[in-house]
This record gives sequence, structure tokens and C-alpha cells, in this order.
Amino acid sequence: MSPLDWIVLLGTLGFIVIYGVWKTRGSKDIEGYLKGDNSMKWWTIGLSIMATQASAITFLSTPGQAYEDGMRFVQFYFGLPIAMVIISITVIPIFYKLNVYTAYEFLENRFDLKTRSLAAFLFLVQRGLAAGITIYAPAIILSTMLGWSLTVTNLIIGVLVIFYTMSGGTKAVSVTQKQQMAVMMGGMIIAGIMVVSYLPENVGFGDAVAVAGKMGKMNVVDFSFDWDDRYNFWSGMTGGLFLALSYFGTDQSQVARYLGGKSVGESRLGLLFNGLLKIPMQFLILFIGVMVFVFYQFNQPPVFFNEAAKSKVYATEYADELRGLETRYTAIFEEKQEAVQGLVTALKADDETAISSAQGKVAALNSAGKEVREEVKGLITKAAPDAETRDTDYVFISFVMKYLPAGLVGLLLAVIFSAAMSSTASELNALASTTVVDIYKRNVKQEGSPKHYLNASKMFTVAWGLIAILFATYASLLDNLIQAVNIIGSIFYGTILGIFLVAFYFKRIKGHAVFLAALMAEAVVLYCFYFTEIAFLWFNVIGCACVILFGFILQGVIGEKKEEPEA
Amino acid sequence: MKESNLAEPVDTEEEIEKPPFFKSWAGMYWLVLGNLAFLVLLFYAITKFYE
Repeated sequence: MSPLDWIVLLGTLGFIVIYGVWKTRGSKDIEGYLKGDNSMKWWTIGLSIMATQASAITFLSTPGQAYEDGMRFVQFYFGLPIAMVIISITVIPIFYKLNVYTAYEFLENRFDLKTRSLAAFLFLVQRGLAAGITIYAPAIILSTMLGWSLTVTNLIIGVLVIFYTMSGGTKAVSVTQKQQMAVMMGGMIIAGIMVVSYLPENVGFGDAVAVAGKMGKMNVVDFSFDWDDRYNFWSGMTGGLFLALSYFGTDQSQVARYLGGKSVGESRLGLLFNGLLKIPMQFLILFIGVMVFVFYQFNQPPVFFNEAAKSKVYATEYADELRGLETRYTAIFEEKQEAVQGLVTALKADDETAISSAQGKVAALNSAGKEVREEVKGLITKAAPDAETRDTDYVFISFVMKYLPAGLVGLLLAVIFSAAMSSTASELNALASTTVVDIYKRNVKQEGSPKHYLNASKMFTVAWGLIAILFATYASLLDNLIQAVNIIGSIFYGTILGIFLVAFYFKRIKGHAVFLAALMAEAVVLYCFYFTEIAFLWFNVIGCACVILFGFILQGVIGEKKEEPEA
Repeated sequence: MKESNLAEPVDTEEEIEKPPFFKSWAGMYWLVLGNLAFLVLLFYAITKFYE
């Protein structure tokens, strides 16, 4: 990194922390700290919702996902616009009418205290774990850049975020996110333009997309049905819909965004704004990943994108073996480069026979390259068992660090850090508000002063931050980061959504029945996670359906007479 | 706390302000769903074209 990059990075981070602290200077009670002043317009809500969802993980992991797997991940978001419409019609008017702080307050009004507490508890578990990954994602960057250990990097970033979050309230988070969102998208668009401009002179934009298509990366939509396939049209429209309903309708980190709106109409427009723009935004980020893939068809990629892990191997007796593998990888690349140029020529000439022949050649060489990469991963496992063997999350940042000019590297890093800090701040704020409002204030200390609850909120922010750091330390054991966040969400979201759907639409089912049904549904989802191969998006559907089904059955068994009101 | 039996939206659409550009919220909802349908078709066309 050049001095200019450091100035841009540190200047931006310093500005965000100071701005966050400055914005909270008026928060004297829990109302100001957790809810803002219901003054937000729809564009602030919309951008804030998008910024909360699009954390550093989105910018680090999604291009890497496209590099490995193509565009098909975009199908994951197909259910989101439908969810935005359903929430706008059903959920927002009720939350506004009841004037709630958190989504779970509504459940006590509809059912009872134990159901409210259970839903709040499930949220706390899954969001607490996800917050750990949100801290872990930018920690990867520093570890790659500076050669620090991930644990140390997690600690440094985590402590900085805790300080910022403890000082910052909901309003400061939302206002900051509006500006950050513009910077994030601006930065990504510039990165996309740069990668295309780095392609060889004879390869235009159209040629680059055609090459990507011939290598199976333009697989945007797949209508074939397969239970075990994570991303296809059907899993996106059903599992994705349920996940989006749960996330935007019941996850406090999102509910808090639109509860701060000026009116029902402003909140609705904010959500619908997200429904219109989320898919194009994800498409763009994935497409940048595909363009990075095409770029590396003409420029040699590293055999393993995580340089820190590779350095560990070089420090052992396996160094010569790794060197040999790198030489083999270079030879394959050189041969492939010729084949890719042949493919470009064939595509320009529209010669089907030549295209088919070149495509086959490139595919065979890609397979050979993949084999070498697998051998390298095996070597890393042998030489440095604590090192990561997945490098998907390093693909984009590795490109940024190596090829973008001075200043732009710092800007993109600042964007990623800002996104991480902002998302984590939002998450820790939601975790603290749910712990205080739904658990502490309702179950532990009901008669505290506003000052007491404000201090408790700050204390719980610190506590959740420390838990997130702890989880971040073990996040490297998980699958691809963005998938890990969604898997954790899917394990709990279906059950939470089931409770809310029963509350909204199934008047007959009461508190005891839905509480027991939720416990049983969660057990079913956990069984599916540990003992079956079912793709994780279906957990949302299974958990939700089980709550409704068990709720009906249990209500029939328990009967209305047994439903005793709680004190 | 006693259960409220609350299971339906508590505000009517008439009480909520009208959306911009459309006479009712239904128009806004169809815009979002229409945009989704358009994107799916566009993506399908892209997939087939570059297959």
C-alpha cells in the first residue's frame, strides 16, 4: 500500500468514528439511543436497508463466489421483491399501530411473554453469530495485507467497532449508511470499469462476456429443480422468499431501519426501493467477479489467492513441493492463454467448430489448473494445518491490491471497512436493543430509570461485541463467508418467521401451542442441518411450515380451555 | 399478559398516505413484481444467449 492509500483509508475510518460519536452526543435515554426520532424519509430508509444487508462480506465474498461458481448466486435474491411487497402490506401497518421498539414486542401482544422471549432469543443467537462473521470479513483483508494473524486482526477491528457502536445510536447508523452506500456502489463501479479496461486490446467487453459464457460463468438462471442444489430459480423463489420475509420482517437489525421512518408510507417506499434495486445491485457485484475471472484468463492468477497461507508453506519443508506446483500451474496457464486467445478469435469469426474445439481445450486446461490448486490446498493442510484452505474470499481483494492504482486501493479498502463497521454497528445495536427491551427490561428489571436502560444498552453492546469477536476467531472453519451468514440465518429464521406468520394470519393458534410448535420446528431444522443434505435455503421453508403445522396440531390437542393468561 | 387475538392489519389503506406516481399502493406493488418478472426473463435470455 502506498502512503496515499493509507491516508485515504485512515482518513475515512477516522471520519466515520468521529462522525458516529458526534451524532450520538444528544442521546440521553434509551428512546433516543435505540429508536431515533421517527424522522427518516424513504430514500434514507431504502439506502439504510440496503447498506445494512450489504456488508463487507458482500463486497469481498460475492465477486469470489462469481469467480468460482458464476452468476447463479443472483437467484438467491429472487424472492426478495415479493417479500418486500408482503411486508409492506402486512407487517408495517401493524408495527406502526402498536408503536413497538422491536419486532418481538408484537408477539407478546398477540401471544404471550414466553413466545416473545423465545423469538427474541432465537434472533439473539443467530444474529450474534452473524455479527462475528461481519467482523471476520474485513479482518481477512488486514491479515492478507499486513501478514498479521487473523485472531489479532479480529480483535483490533472488533474493539474499534464496539467503541463506535457503543457511542453511536440508531439514527447515526442510518444517516451514515446513506452516504456510505453511495461510496460503496461508486467504488464497485470504478473497480468494474478498471477490470474491463485491463483486458487485452483485442478483447472487447462483448468478447469478455462471451468468453465468460463459454466457460459456464453466465449461468444466471437455472429452472431445473433439485433439492440439493443451493441456487436455482425454485430455491430462490421459495427459500429466498422465506429468508427475505424473515430477515426483513422479523430481524431487528432491519426492522429498526424502517421503524425509524416518518410514516407508514415512507417505510413502505423504503422497502419497495430495496425490492427494485437489490437484484440489479447483486447482479452488478457478481458480474464484476465474472470480469475478474475473465481478466485472469489473460493474466496469470496466483495458484492460491491467500498469500499469507502460501507463505506459511514456504517456511516449511514443503516449500520445494509448492514451488513445483506453481511451476506446473504456470505452464498450464501459458498453454491455456493460447487456447483462450483461440477461443476469442473463433468467437469473433463466429466459427462454431472452432469455438467448440477451443472451448473443449480451455475446459480441459481449467480442469488441470483446478487439480493443481487442489494439490496446493492439500499441501497447505499438511504444512500449516491452522491455515485456511479456501481462497474464494481473497479473489477480489487480491485483484484490488495487485492491479488497482494508488489511491483507489485505499478507497476500496475504506469502502469495505466502512461497510463492515456500519453493518456491525447496526447488528450490535439491534442485539443490544433486543436484549434490553425484550429480555432484560421485560424479564429481569422492569422498573429501571431511562438512564439505567441506556447504560444497560451500552453494556450489552460491549458484551455482544466481545461474543462476536470470539465467534469471528472461529469463522475461518466455515464455508464461504456469505454462505455461512445465510446458513446460520436459515437455521433460525424459518422458525421465527413461522411464529410471526401464525401471529399475523392464523388467529386460531394461541400462545402455548405456537411456543411448543416453535421448539419442535427448531429441532426439525437442526436435525436437517446435521443429518441431511438438504440445501440450506429450504430450512427457511421447513422451519416455517413446521411451526404452522405443529401449531395447528398442538392447538387441537391442547384446546383453548388450557390456554391460561400469563401475569 | 392476555392474548389479544390480533391477527389482521390494524390500519386500513385509506388511512395511509398515497404513494408517488400511482393512485394506490397496488400500483407500486405491481411495479416491483413486474420489475422482478422482467429481470428473470432478461437473465434467462442472457443465460441462453451465452450458453
